[in-house]
Amino acid sequence: MNQLCQLADEHGATAIITVRVSIGRLSGIVADSFSFGFETLAGENSLTKKAALEITLTEPVQRCLDCRLVADFSTKTCPRCDSTRLSPEGGDELVLTQVEME
Amino acid sequence: MCDICGCHTPDPEQTTRTVDVHRSLLEANTRQAEENRRHFAAMGAVAVNMISSPGAGKTTLLEHTIDILAGEMRIGVIEGDIETERDADRIRAKGIPAVQLTTGGACHLDAPMVHKGLHQLQHDSGSDSFDVIFIENVGNLVCPATFDLGEHQRIVLVSVPEGSDKPAKYPRAFISSQAFLITKTDLLPYFDFSLDEARKEAAALNPGLKILELSVKNGSSLDGWINYLRQLAKK
Repeated sequence: MNQLCQLADEHGATAIITVRVSIGRLSGIVADSFSFGFETLAGENSLTKKAALEITLTEPVQRCLDCRLVADFSTKTCPRCDSTRLSPEGGDELVLTQVEME
Repeated sequence: MCDICGCHTPDPEQTTRTVDVHRSLLEANTRQAEENRRHFAAMGAVAVNMISSPGAGKTTLLEHTIDILAGEMRIGVIEGDIETERDADRIRAKGIPAVQLTTGGACHLDAPMVHKGLHQLQHDSGSDSFDVIFIENVGNLVCPATFDLGEHQRIVLVSVPEGSDKPAKYPRAFISSQAFLITKTDLLPYFDFSLDEARKEAAALNPGLKILELSVKNGSSLDGWINYLRQLAKK
């Protein structure tokens, strides 16, 4: 909320319309709980009262530690070299991506 | 914004506008964590963040670690709990400076709390110089994994009675750690804990993870852990 109010101030906006957030599957953040918290806090501030939250869930990928191929998160072995040494990458973010304001 | 004088008068032509931000909402914590990391390094210390469920044996392992290493390195401890000074008192009883952070309900430590603890530790001990500082997080395998405290090493512990399915069920703690300690291995004969399952599933999540098995009831099983800490302190 502090970041949003700061942004609105920087851009001379009087209301925040849409807030876009990207949440990774490995971030430990539950999208439903985040929405609930957002609605509660947004309602308390005249700048954010009308704001709608749009959440994009992002999936991590896996990098094969043997051949460096980037593979889907659900695969158990590397599609190129069959290695089981796959290390998760990304999917751990909680990022404010875009804000629409007026 | 007005281009001529830079004031905040909105452009009457443009009623709504879209601003690309791409900033982490955990930015404030991450910034403080980076500062903590520099602070630890300036003290000459390697900082170790210990994460586990309540009762996995973090404090007991620290007590035994202190018994072995107190003579050869300067150790400091920051304890995190929801309530009570009990864990810090156990560490202080060993003659080691310890600060208790009580979160009053929060289920994890964050970087600003640790920053406060760090200053308290310097103040209480009258020392600016340590080899290892242990941060014992609040007992919880979930939320502590999300918060960087500025540590150099993150250690996750699972005790035998908890079960060998913990890596698969709480992946983030294992993905974000550098070492995994399986504790209370003296209880293996009494529980259906599969060392193979725990090791395999943890390694599948994080192939670089160092995995050690130990029991404080069997002194020699601590050798791997103690050597690991000696290596860390040397860096």
